[in-house]
Amino acid sequence: MKISRRNFLKGSATTLFLAGFNFPVLANTDKKKNLVVIMLRGGMDGLCAVPIIGDKNFEKRRKDLILDQTIKLDSDFALHPKLKNFHNLWQKNLGAVVHATNIPYTKRSHFDGQNLMETGGHIPYAVKTGWLGRGMKLAELKGDGLALALPMPLLLRGIPSNDNFYPSKKRLPRTELLKLLKSIYAEKSEHELANMMEIIANRSMMSSGGTSMSRKNSSLALKAGLELKKINGPRVAVFEVDGFDTHAAQGGVNGSHSDSLIEMDSIFKSLEKGLGNEIENTLVLTLTEFGRTIEQNGGRGTEHGYGSAIFMAGGLLKKTQVYTDWPGLKRKELFEGRDLNSTIDARSVYASAMSTVFDIDFKRINKEVFWGDKLVNLSDKLFKV
Amino acid sequence: MKNFYRKVAFGLGPNEKAPSDPLEWAKNQLNDIPEFSWKGKILPEKELRNYYRDYVYGDRKVLRKKFKNDKEGYKREKNKLRHLTGQKFWWNLELCIRYSEALKSETPVLAKLWYFWGNHFAISEKDFLAQYTTGAYQREIIRANMNQNFEKMAQEATIGWSMIHHLDNEQNIGPKSQEAKWAREKGKTKGVNENHARELLELHTVSPDCGYTQEDVIQMAYIMSGWRPKWGKKRLETGDVHFNPDAHEPGTKMVLGKKYKRGRKSLSVAITDLVNNPSCRKFIAMKLCRYLITDNPTEEMMEPIIKAWEKSDGFLPEVHKAAIEVAFNYSDKYNKFQNPENWLLQMSKMADVDLIPSPSFMDLYQLGNKPIKDQRALERLMDELGQHPYLAKQPNGWSDISEDWMSPELLIRRLVYAREAYYKKSGKSQTTEFYEEMIEKNYDNPSEILQIINQHKELVHKHVILFNLPETLKS
Repeated sequence: MKISRRNFLKGSATTLFLAGFNFPVLANTDKKKNLVVIMLRGGMDGLCAVPIIGDKNFEKRRKDLILDQTIKLDSDFALHPKLKNFHNLWQKNLGAVVHATNIPYTKRSHFDGQNLMETGGHIPYAVKTGWLGRGMKLAELKGDGLALALPMPLLLRGIPSNDNFYPSKKRLPRTELLKLLKSIYAEKSEHELANMMEIIANRSMMSSGGTSMSRKNSSLALKAGLELKKINGPRVAVFEVDGFDTHAAQGGVNGSHSDSLIEMDSIFKSLEKGLGNEIENTLVLTLTEFGRTIEQNGGRGTEHGYGSAIFMAGGLLKKTQVYTDWPGLKRKELFEGRDLNSTIDARSVYASAMSTVFDIDFKRINKEVFWGDKLVNLSDKLFKV
Repeated sequence: MKNFYRKVAFGLGPNEKAPSDPLEWAKNQLNDIPEFSWKGKILPEKELRNYYRDYVYGDRKVLRKKFKNDKEGYKREKNKLRHLTGQKFWWNLELCIRYSEALKSETPVLAKLWYFWGNHFAISEKDFLAQYTTGAYQREIIRANMNQNFEKMAQEATIGWSMIHHLDNEQNIGPKSQEAKWAREKGKTKGVNENHARELLELHTVSPDCGYTQEDVIQMAYIMSGWRPKWGKKRLETGDVHFNPDAHEPGTKMVLGKKYKRGRKSLSVAITDLVNNPSCRKFIAMKLCRYLITDNPTEEMMEPIIKAWEKSDGFLPEVHKAAIEVAFNYSDKYNKFQNPENWLLQMSKMADVDLIPSPSFMDLYQLGNKPIKDQRALERLMDELGQHPYLAKQPNGWSDISEDWMSPELLIRRLVYAREAYYKKSGKSQTTEFYEEMIEKNYDNPSEILQIINQHKELVHKHVILFNLPETLKS
């Protein structure tokens, strides 16, 4: 089999965003709760990550992609054998999965799909803010603080003055020059530029510790964990992992889809390490644009599909479980005869998660972040309320 | 009006006079495709693809076997192989060629549109395409066709080796084809791969606005099945693209309501139909306006471009002239936040920054060696600024929407690099007079700008401020 380096390389390009500092609001709550979203770009194959056990339809259609030595999660589902860190969390009652779920998008374009997974909307490019950004705004969280990556992901847009940060060794120009630019921007009514310059001028990360930081995924996740742990630190972190679009050489245990899953898995590990005990007050969720076809294609890869799975981790989970309303894999049970169906609107999970972490009534989130769409409150079932 | 020079090109350099008729100045650059202004080595795509072949073959077929039990040895030899095939050098050379067109040629307007098309038919980050062939693809298939009809560019880009490989069409095998049958006899399954077909519709020609369905995508993939690099034991996937009837889906296909026969000719017929679909010209007109003028182009802006397309049958020089004229007419009304690459090139041109290493210096490079630091400066700089032109993350290329580039982090890069760039200027351009003249030539409000930058004494600070003023960031 041809081994393409593409997916490995793409998988390594992890980026991180931290946001949502809210000192005043925090004073009123007894503990600081954190939300981490890991965006899995390219279409994560839920059936590769969390395969169903003993389904002949599945085994027949994917004979070259079936995994050996999967880890049994319950009587129906197993875990990809390379997801060791997630399994570790699972065993500690800190891991769970929602299966056969997706955002309500069925057209199979990466660009449209990724746009919708971030905006939470129905029409690609129609909404200019992200569901997480809108949720944070509702929670009265501020964007300023730090975030790591270029450029700002759509998911976080919607709160003013979001910041991002990507490690670099370069030195900033002197502060008075930055201040002058800021005042020029303000005078010329370039408010967006003025906001950005304000953030830059106030940045402390540039001189302390930030300079020696590595761009490697494990180091970014560790940093994120350490920052989230701080009582006055950020409450939201967003990662992205690329490379799930495995049209070719998806392979089995050592294939290209595994490389990207391992990348995700290492984020779980470093986050846990960085967070320490604060993992108890944290919720980690994954997000992808769609799953992949059940049937393998000519290149031992898979095509763009529909239903996928959400990985969840952290102490705010109610319990270890694979939560699903399993639609089945017989041809007539599949979406358009080819894809795992989605029986849970993934946005119900995200809305419930925000409701739990930000302490906002589900109905309010549903109405103000997701336009009153028909979502289900899953907080009781999935999270500690 | 002077922002027009920056909107459609990169401003006016120290040796250029302000043209008496700016619109004519711009339009006159669009008729022909002149020789490259880079005076050093320029390698054909085929030769660069051979280096790519040597690398993938050497790695996959030789080193991985030879060193399967020796991780360190493998690493060491693979590194040698990288240098033997120029992996760290060629894309730097390509960037020199690319940026010379913006900074040293007589046709910077053509260069700015070249970058547009390279990004439209983007080869995004995959394997080592960027290091070996993407630059050459943009020279030989994109730029070389800028005095042709759009159709010709689309035809050649679609079956260009880089594009076919980039979008997995070599994996696209008709499920009823001979090859699929052979595979079934061996107990394997081979089938269609929709990737390239989908992008051809969505990104390169008609766009989702035309309303195609999933079935259209699959049918288009059937038409494209069989188009792939000629496989060879030594060439692997780097052979020339050809049509292999054994992998082609038999039978008639239907895309957007039109029937196509089986066989090699159908792809070209289908592309002809796609580029003549009204959605295609509308999509391209919108993208040109978005690139040159504003994030939200209006119907009025797009109309003259669509008209020029219809009148000339998509003849690109005419389409380009129409787009440039629209940009001219709207130049006072709209300013667009420039992407990092365009910003860098504006600064380099107007302030005479020595951005590009000299041809003789680049030609000193010898295969097998690690390129020296200054030979790799451009690759690293573009990465720092956040927009390496050969490393777009996805097949839709780099975004041309302002908001995607407006972030504190990216602004920091501009602040930092503006300062560094100042020290790359020749002594004679490090004078107050130089800046006064440059500002006079390139900005509509020179006295206001001078007043602002003169609040700082040192010239380097004036330089940093100037290139981060709204007037410069947006044009």
